[in-house]
Parts: sequence; C-alpha cells; structure tokens
Amino acid sequence: MRKHILLVDDDDDIREVAGISLEAVGGWQVSSASSGIEAIAKAIAERPDAILLDVMMPGIDGPTTFKRLQRDPATRDIPVILLTAKAQSGDRQCFETLGVAGLLTKPFDPMALSDQVMAILATAARAKYGS
Amino acid sequence: MTQVSAAVQAIFARRRDELGRRVKALEETVPALLQGQLDESLRARAERDAHKLAGSLGMFGLPRGSELAREIEEVLGVPDGPAPSAAPRLAELVLALRGQLEDAPVGSQDHLPAGPPLPDGRTLLLVSADPVLTERLSHEALGRGLRPRGAASPAAARHLAALDPPDVAVLDLTFSEADRDGLELLVDLVGSRPPVPVIVLTSSEALVDRVEVSRRGASGFIHRSRPASHVVEAVRETVERRDRGQAKVLAVDDDPAISDALAVMLAPVGLEVSTLNDPRRFWECLEEIAPDLVVLDLEMPGLDGIDLCRAVRADVRFGQLPVLFLTARTDAGSVKRIFEAGADDYVSKPVVGPELVTRIENRLDRVRLYRQLAETDSLTGVASRRKSSAALEDLIAMADRYGQPLSIALIDLDHFKRLNDQLGHAAGDAALRRIGAMLAGAFRGEDVVGRWGGEEFLVGMYGMGRDDGIQRVAELLESFRTEQFSGRDGRSARLSFSAGVAEFPRDGPDLHDLCRAADEAMYRAKANGRDRVLAAGSPRSSSPEQPDVVVVEDDAALASVLVESLQTRGHRTRWLDDGPKAVAALAGADPDLSADLILLDVDLPGLSGLSVLRRLAADGVLSRSRVIMLTARAGETDVLAALELGAIDHVAKPFSVPVLMQKVRRALSR
Repeated sequence: MRKHILLVDDDDDIREVAGISLEAVGGWQVSSASSGIEAIAKAIAERPDAILLDVMMPGIDGPTTFKRLQRDPATRDIPVILLTAKAQSGDRQCFETLGVAGLLTKPFDPMALSDQVMAILATAARAKYGS
Repeated sequence: MTQVSAAVQAIFARRRDELGRRVKALEETVPALLQGQLDESLRARAERDAHKLAGSLGMFGLPRGSELAREIEEVLGVPDGPAPSAAPRLAELVLALRGQLEDAPVGSQDHLPAGPPLPDGRTLLLVSADPVLTERLSHEALGRGLRPRGAASPAAARHLAALDPPDVAVLDLTFSEADRDGLELLVDLVGSRPPVPVIVLTSSEALVDRVEVSRRGASGFIHRSRPASHVVEAVRETVERRDRGQAKVLAVDDDPAISDALAVMLAPVGLEVSTLNDPRRFWECLEEIAPDLVVLDLEMPGLDGIDLCRAVRADVRFGQLPVLFLTARTDAGSVKRIFEAGADDYVSKPVVGPELVTRIENRLDRVRLYRQLAETDSLTGVASRRKSSAALEDLIAMADRYGQPLSIALIDLDHFKRLNDQLGHAAGDAALRRIGAMLAGAFRGEDVVGRWGGEEFLVGMYGMGRDDGIQRVAELLESFRTEQFSGRDGRSARLSFSAGVAEFPRDGPDLHDLCRAADEAMYRAKANGRDRVLAAGSPRSSSPEQPDVVVVEDDAALASVLVESLQTRGHRTRWLDDGPKAVAALAGADPDLSADLILLDVDLPGLSGLSVLRRLAADGVLSRSRVIMLTARAGETDVLAALELGAIDHVAKPFSVPVLMQKVRRALSR
C-alpha cells in the first residue's frame, strides 16, 4: 500500500508544490490541511504514516499542533517533520526538544523533498526501534 | 521528473502576480518607515509576506530571492520594529528582491490573473511596427476591459488619435534613426489636451534612452521582453493614477533652469508642476493653480522664500498648504529660519531627483492621511462609525434593489475591561488593533467593516445570508481566540468575542432595526457564556435547557473539536461518548435529552451507531430529531443502512470540520 503523508501549511503555493513533489517523485499518497485545527481533525480521521507540518501558521501554530497530536493516543505515534522557513541553530534545538522526527527548511528543492522526508523518517524509525 | 519541474514552473507562472503583490507590500513599508509611520499592523503583515516569500521563492528556482526575503524579514522583525535608519537598507533589499522576481524566466506567460478592471472601456492606443506584439497586447488589454486600437506607424497613430482620442498609449520604440517620428508622437500625445499618458516599450537597455523618453514626458519605460500581462498592468496603473487626479505642485525659483529641472523630475511620477520664476506673481498663481504643494527657493531677489512662506501660513485659505524649501545653505541658522517661517521640510541643492520626489510624496501622503482621518478610526484602521453606517446604508439599498441577501454582524470583545485593568491599556489597544486588522483582512470587497464604539465592531456582508454570516464570523472567532496579548509585567491573556448576526430584510427593514436585532443576539451570546456567535430572532429550541445538537462520538479529540466548533456557532451542545449512554439519554418514552440534531458515529463502543439509530427510530425520536451519521471510510453498506433507518445525511471520515458545519446548518434549517 502507498504510504500516506499529511501536508500542513497555510501557504497554498507550498501545499501545491510539496504535494506534487511528494506524489510524483516519492509516490506518496498525499492529503493536505491549511490550518492546525484541520490538521488535527485529519490526522485523527486519516491516521497518515507521516505529517509534514509548517511551523508558522495563523491560529494554532505548528508546535502547538504537534503538542496536541502528542496528547492524543490516536495520533501520538505518527512521526512529524516540522517545516520551517527559519533555521537558526536556536530554533533547531528548540524544535528538536519537542520530540519531532525531524526538521526541514523552506525553501525546499521540489526534486529533493521526498528523499529528505524518507531519510528523516528512516533515521527516526531507527532511533525508535533500533537498527 | 521533468514533469515535476514543469508543474512547479506552471504554478510559478500562475502565482507570479500574487508573489509580485507581496513584494509590493514590502515596498510600501519603506516610505512608511522613513516617515516614522510604520504601524504595527503594516509591519506585521509585511513581515509575514517576507516570511512567506522566503519560504517559497527558492522552491520556484529563485534561491537568491529567498535569501533576500529572509533578510527583509529579519530587518522587519527586530524587537520594537525597525528604526527609520534601517530604511535605506530595506529599500535596497526590496529592490533587489523585485529584480529577482522580474528577471525570472517566464514559463508560460499566456494567462495571469487580472487586476481589478477599470471602469468602462478606456481606449488604449498601441503603436508598434511589430504585428505580433500588437496582437499579444491587444488580446491581454481586451481581457482587462480596455479598448485596444493598433497602429503600425506614428503616422497611422496620429490619424487614429484624431478620430478616437485615446485615454492612454503604449509606444514601441527602437531608438534607431527612424524613430524620430516616434519621439515626436510621444511629445504630441503628452502635450495634447487632455494629456495622454504614454508608456514606452523598447529593447534598449541604455540609460540615455530612458532619460530621453522621460524628459519627453513618458509615464513609464518597459522592456519589450516583459510579458503582455505586465505591460497591460502598467497601463492599468497609469490610468488609475490619472483617474485619482494628479497632484499639482507650484515651484517658485528665480532660476528657470532649476524650475524646469523640477518639472522634468516630477512629471514621470504623476505630479503636475507649474513653474514660476517671478516671485512677485506668487499670489496670482496660487489662486489660479490652487496647488496641493508649494516648492520655494530660499533665496530670491525681491521677495524671498521665507517671506512667501510666512504669508502662506498667515492666509486662511492656504494656511494648511504643505511648503517645501530648496536651499543651497544648510547651516543651522538657515534651517532654523526655514522652519520658523512654518515650512514643512527642505531639500538641499543641488537637488537629487529621487530625494525630492520622496519628500514631496511624503508631504502629499500626509495631506491625504489627514483627509482620511475623519473617515478612519485611528486606532484600528477600520472605518469610523459615521463612515461605516453610510456605507451600510448604501449596501442595504443595493441589496434591496438587486434582491441580494445581506447580513450584518455586531461583534463585542469579551471581558475587555478586565483585560485593560489587569494588563494595562497598551494591551487593550493592541487587542483592538489586532481585531481591527483581522476584520479588515477577513472581510473585503463589498463588505463593510467599522468600529461601532469602544470595543464593538460592525461588519456588513453583502450577498450573504444569516447562516453563512455566522459561519464566517465564527471562523474569525476561532482564529482570534488563539491570539495572545501581553501586558506591562509580562503577563499575557487571550481574548474572545461575542457576536450577533442579523439578516436583511427578515430581521429588520433598515439599518436601525438590523442593528437592534444583531445587538439583541449579541447580548444573548454574552448571556449564554460569551465566546460565540448567535443568530438574531428567536432561539431554535423551545426549551432553553435542551441542547440543539447532541454529538455521539467515542473519539474524545474529534468530539472536542466538534463541540467547540458547534458552540462557537451558537449551538447548545451535549457530548455522549458511547452507544448505551446515547440510548439511555435520547431514546425511550420520556428521554432526558431532546435535540434538533444528533451527530452519530457509526463505530461506537458498547452498542454500534446503527443499533442506536434503530432504537431511536423505533421510539419515534426521529420525528423530532434529525440524525447525521459519521461513517468510516469504506462503509457504503453502513451509509445505506443508516439512510434506510431515517438518518438524513452522512459524512464520511475523514471529513473537514467546515464541511460538517455546513451540513449541520443545512440540516437545522430544513
């Protein structure tokens, strides 16, 4: 079965480009949400294999969405990759202590995005279950 | 793989104008910052735009664009906002960013989204020897409501212009010897009565050519390789600028060389300059021209600039007129004399074009700002009560005439006084500014947004019924709740609002009655626990203790999202988390709960959703309550069974909350 990823970003351009890239290059099944609330509802309903989550969104931001996903047994184990346009080292550390699977920076290369996502998920899985 | 790149390029081509608008929004921060008028909402919006550009340009193959946008974001995002001294750096970054976007190769340039159309068909004269170019531009111009007229030579253009005077012209010049005619045509068009603004197209990069055409009065200079949509957009802006009315500047200098130079510098930015070399004719000219701004030379024989400025300030009619000085002397004494005479600003000689233009525009902007002040609420930036009620009256008349629905929402912040008391008035002001900005962002076009009083706002939504209006305001409430406001001592708080929504004409035949109906609903929202949006008119359920929607769902997270969304939209809601509880509360001869609508999950622990539905049907509950089933992904048989048993609708998981809310609305209005 195709792996399913939930893409969360309030920017239409990012959703569209990342969606095409993950689908066409990586063969993912992609669904998307444009806000934190929508992301939580979809994550509960769809149980995707991974979530790519924008950090800065109006309303509930990425980290808050992530914390809510963590609180719910239904979504707790879905690996989340944060997508951020700012990648100072401070940010990186702060996000990593949250317990996300990884961090990707915007702008991303549409041709490379899928491989980056796969690599992060593989590393996270190894860290969790041992290699 | 190339398929992906092509798809990304296609998205870029489609979104290019939007990205350009974001860059334009960044450009607007520069003059505001220079004047010390970069307010928080403008700054925050620009920072967000820069952030988005930083995040997306690289993905479209413009990595340098992303870097520039990120630097801009940093400049705008410093604590307490950027200082005016950061303006030059900001201007440089924004210019470079625009260059990146303009220089990007155009993948498919045939169709870009059009800007706002101009009122009725303006005639566009297209002068080019290249039939392909004329064709492309005509096509694009037609799409934007212009009436293009093509001419293959300057002679043909003169002929056409005589028959059908154009409102604006595009002139394709090669700057070869043969173009003498073209340049003469430019001069004639610009000099005709009324003047025709001309945009020059050329493949020449040479600065001398650019200077040549702007000296002859061209309004713009565009490279021929630019897409047709770009050229036509420039045409549109030019016409719009002319429609707004040119600002008139009176320049007084005894040296004709200087006053003529001023005219040349200011004409391309849409300023009409009248020059006067004899200061003794000053009053005469002032009355005749009635300028929007005066430029005076400090030292002139006879009457000097200081005398003229004092006289202007003492005059009742012209006392408020902005006055700018040109001076070769910038010693402390001279500058002091200039300001003591009542001048607004000065520019030192030799005059640098861009500096003078910026200073003049700043002054004119200030004048426009004062005019707007009476119509705009200074704290929140939305329309004042006076202005918005006039606009609402117009909207109601329009709705009446065209038989369109219209809803108004009265929005009042909850516990606003407590926020002011606990966190200080600065936090209160920040909250008002924030909600003002959010309202202005969420409602646009034909909608009206006004500050009605203290912490009360009024929104008029044209073409929208009450239920849709509630939905829209509820979405705004959902995002307003997540905002945080901080006080002096670092404490912070969140806010909510209560709102009432009334519809024309069923809740009232005029503004007064509509407001009263919305106000009554808003107070009912306050009484029911605040933080919600209620409809005007009588409440749906007969008994106020009974819920109107019951959610039967075992997934607590999903249920909490549903309950919160329902309550925000004014529904009294109860949540039951398994089948047996649902049967106990809802079924039987005399049930505890009687709701208008039940949202019933199929997969429930204890007793399945279908079994619950069967019991409800058997006990006659479905005659007074409607049921929407929440079904699993592949449950077609479940859906059929549920509809068979009497459910009126179903939503398949995963569903979007807004879609479900729409179904709820539809179910309750049946």
